[in-house]
Amino acid sequence: MHQHPTPRSLPSRRSAATALAAVGALLLSACSSTPAKDTPAASDSTPVDGGTLRYAVAGSPATASGDPHGGLGNESDVLRFALTYDVLTVPGADGRTRPRLATSWKPDADMDRWTLTLRDDARFTDGRPVRAADVLYSLRRIAGKAAENYGRLADFDLAKSTAPDAHTVVLATRAPMADAPRALESVTFVVPEGSEDFSRPVTGSGPYRVERTGAQTAVLTRNEKWWGERPHLDRIEIQAVADPQARASAVASGQADVAGSVSPAAVKSAGSSARTQVIRRDGVTEYPFVMRLDTAPFDDPRVREAFRLAADRKALVDTVFLGYGKVANDLPTPYDPSTPKDLPQRTRDVEKAKRLLAQAGHADGLTVTLHTTTSYPGMDTAATLYAQQLADIGVDAEVKVEPADTYWTAVYAKKAFYTGYYGGISFPDLTRVGLLSDSPTNETAWRSRSFDEGFAEAMATANEARRQDLLAGIQRDLWKDGGYVVWGTGDGLDLAAPGVRGLPDGPGFQRMFIDQVWMAK
Amino acid sequence: MTGRSAGRGGGVRRAGRALRPVGRAAALTAAATAVVFTATELLPGDAGELRTAGRASAADIAAERDRLGLDRPAAVRYADWLYGLVRGDLGRSLVSGRPVADLFTERLPATAVLVAVALAGTVLLTVTALAVTGLRGGRGGSAATGLAAVPQPVYAAVLGAVLAGLLGWLPAVSLLPPGGSPLADPRVLVLPALTLALPSAAFATALLRGALGDALRRPHVTDARLRGLPAPLVLHRHVLPFLYAPALQVTALLAGGLVAGTALAETLFGYPGTGQLLVSAVAVRDVPVIQAAALLPAAVLLLGMLLADLAARRTTAPDQARDAAPGLTGRPV
Repeated sequence: MHQHPTPRSLPSRRSAATALAAVGALLLSACSSTPAKDTPAASDSTPVDGGTLRYAVAGSPATASGDPHGGLGNESDVLRFALTYDVLTVPGADGRTRPRLATSWKPDADMDRWTLTLRDDARFTDGRPVRAADVLYSLRRIAGKAAENYGRLADFDLAKSTAPDAHTVVLATRAPMADAPRALESVTFVVPEGSEDFSRPVTGSGPYRVERTGAQTAVLTRNEKWWGERPHLDRIEIQAVADPQARASAVASGQADVAGSVSPAAVKSAGSSARTQVIRRDGVTEYPFVMRLDTAPFDDPRVREAFRLAADRKALVDTVFLGYGKVANDLPTPYDPSTPKDLPQRTRDVEKAKRLLAQAGHADGLTVTLHTTTSYPGMDTAATLYAQQLADIGVDAEVKVEPADTYWTAVYAKKAFYTGYYGGISFPDLTRVGLLSDSPTNETAWRSRSFDEGFAEAMATANEARRQDLLAGIQRDLWKDGGYVVWGTGDGLDLAAPGVRGLPDGPGFQRMFIDQVWMAK
Repeated sequence: MTGRSAGRGGGVRRAGRALRPVGRAAALTAAATAVVFTATELLPGDAGELRTAGRASAADIAAERDRLGLDRPAAVRYADWLYGLVRGDLGRSLVSGRPVADLFTERLPATAVLVAVALAGTVLLTVTALAVTGLRGGRGGSAATGLAAVPQPVYAAVLGAVLAGLLGWLPAVSLLPPGGSPLADPRVLVLPALTLALPSAAFATALLRGALGDALRRPHVTDARLRGLPAPLVLHRHVLPFLYAPALQVTALLAGGLVAGTALAETLFGYPGTGQLLVSAVAVRDVPVIQAAALLPAAVLLLGMLLADLAARRTTAPDQARDAAPGLTGRPV
């Protein structure tokens, strides 16, 4: 099962590390910066108030938790937290950071102190105002639970952070961090200062309040005193359902109004039904093939280029994601705002690939082992199909399907050639965790001084356009010389009953913030 | 009472005999949980590794394992768990930190209802199957053996496809309304209960078919028939008494099996019971939860056996009772 969803915008290096892998259905269905055009939920008719929404969301009983600051192992919990607690910032539909509890933020000249201004009209449901002290308490509590939440806030120095007045928080970062507001998106759930016992729901200041929680369900009702735009739904029932097929069936049979994170196959089979609509969240699920630069034969750039030219990207997208996705261009975060727009799309070129292999001394062919696993649906299919494509350039790739339970400890970042997983991590996060010379898990063994310096310079650059340019620049090196074959990205897919409107179709955890959803009568 | 139990020695013996099943139950429970514990240990990865999802550094994983107490030897951890159990403490989940007892209390009612319905279905189906094969002179029984061998997921898939997909009579998943009992909409029970009951009824039929045949072939039954006694009377007075004991034992066995079988049925149909909890606990190696989940069918089985024993002593055919009483099975001789 897929128990460890982690947000797209995980703030810290270790959290980013986890996000790389980790992790669950949430990510599978994460994030995009452009809403899918054919999403029926993006209706422009006038919202109506009232009704109960029944949401079947990925969740396993063994990982369920009531603590918003520990591991966010259960998507059903995250959905509940996102509706009952305020967070500092949220991702917008365009991928940019939007205000939530924090109305504005400003860095100092060195980009390592961020002053956040909090809204002054937020109240917990028990009537107490939300103060900077509550925010700082919550952030410190998250940092204190680093072992449980993979160091979600490890890039912040919370001991040095302060709350100079009731509505101002000054956050210190350990290094210049131009993307700090992004790192605070979605997962900075604020609870009242001093809250320790989370075995029963702790009061929040979000758009809904918990009425009841049980073995598998949570019932939320509208918080009439929420500061934000009044939610339309009276009630939201969250049903945790572990099996994706069972979630899809719940909508098809009328037992739920929304099923989060369903498989392309379930969408195909529901496609003919008038009883369901498909919410397509432009894809960021990807299974890149990773080549380690420090191991033969991949220490030769000609071999890496040949392997990239061998991929028939469209065939892979059609087979692995059943067409619910699009081809990618060997950059691992194509959805990131910093992605260079002017790079030519690599396409299949068998002759050139053979030539490159011959130049690299492999004219008589080459034998490699491609490791893969079944952690995420289609990972093994991707490897099998790619191995067939590699055969056309004279590479004999033996596919080895490893046990999912130990794949990320025994194979990932250790073998020379293997299948990776990304669920929507941002480029700066990915870089911190896997592309700097001193990154904890440098999965491609990519070590480049100019890349390291370019990244540090970008993170200390306040001007956003300039920063994105700098980040785009170092990605060009990666595209040309890196260890990735990124052949495509798969869409996140939800099913919904026909009347459901306004479901988020943007990046990552944004889809957990369903406070503006409504039901057509 | 006969003179056998008179005197002090007899009392001790009697008490010892009464306690014996309890001791046996305790020993079997310990054995069952030890097997499950060992099996969990043999699975690759532990809660510490799996929680850090593999992308953490070796030091991080070590810290997490240390925090969860996983750095201690397996034998020590098992002994610890057993000691807690004796004191009535099932421990805390490694993942959520919540008391295991709470996790089960939340989910037990749903599973209890499902198992009860499945058991009732099993009994009904078994009696029907035995009656049908009995009427046909014992023929057709081999079908039961075949059906018992079909894996549970096949039942789930076929039943779901036909009853929910094709005919649309039943919901394809068995979600419960918030705070609701499965009895509020009993339709959600049908598919998971049938998935459990069909193979177990087939199994019970295969087991009891022989006992029924034996009973029917007994001389006194033939004799009764020859004397012209009406068939219902023969069945009631001369055949059924020989079936009570094996039937009760089979029922006890099946009850344990049904509880264990909920793992699959609940997961496939999204039914919020303890079986689903077990499956997801195995995925994250949440040992205390797995152990408690293993305890449950073992306890049901042992309790069932105990009751079956007691009942067998009382219901064994009258002419056999005196000799048969002390035996574990109460099997008529």
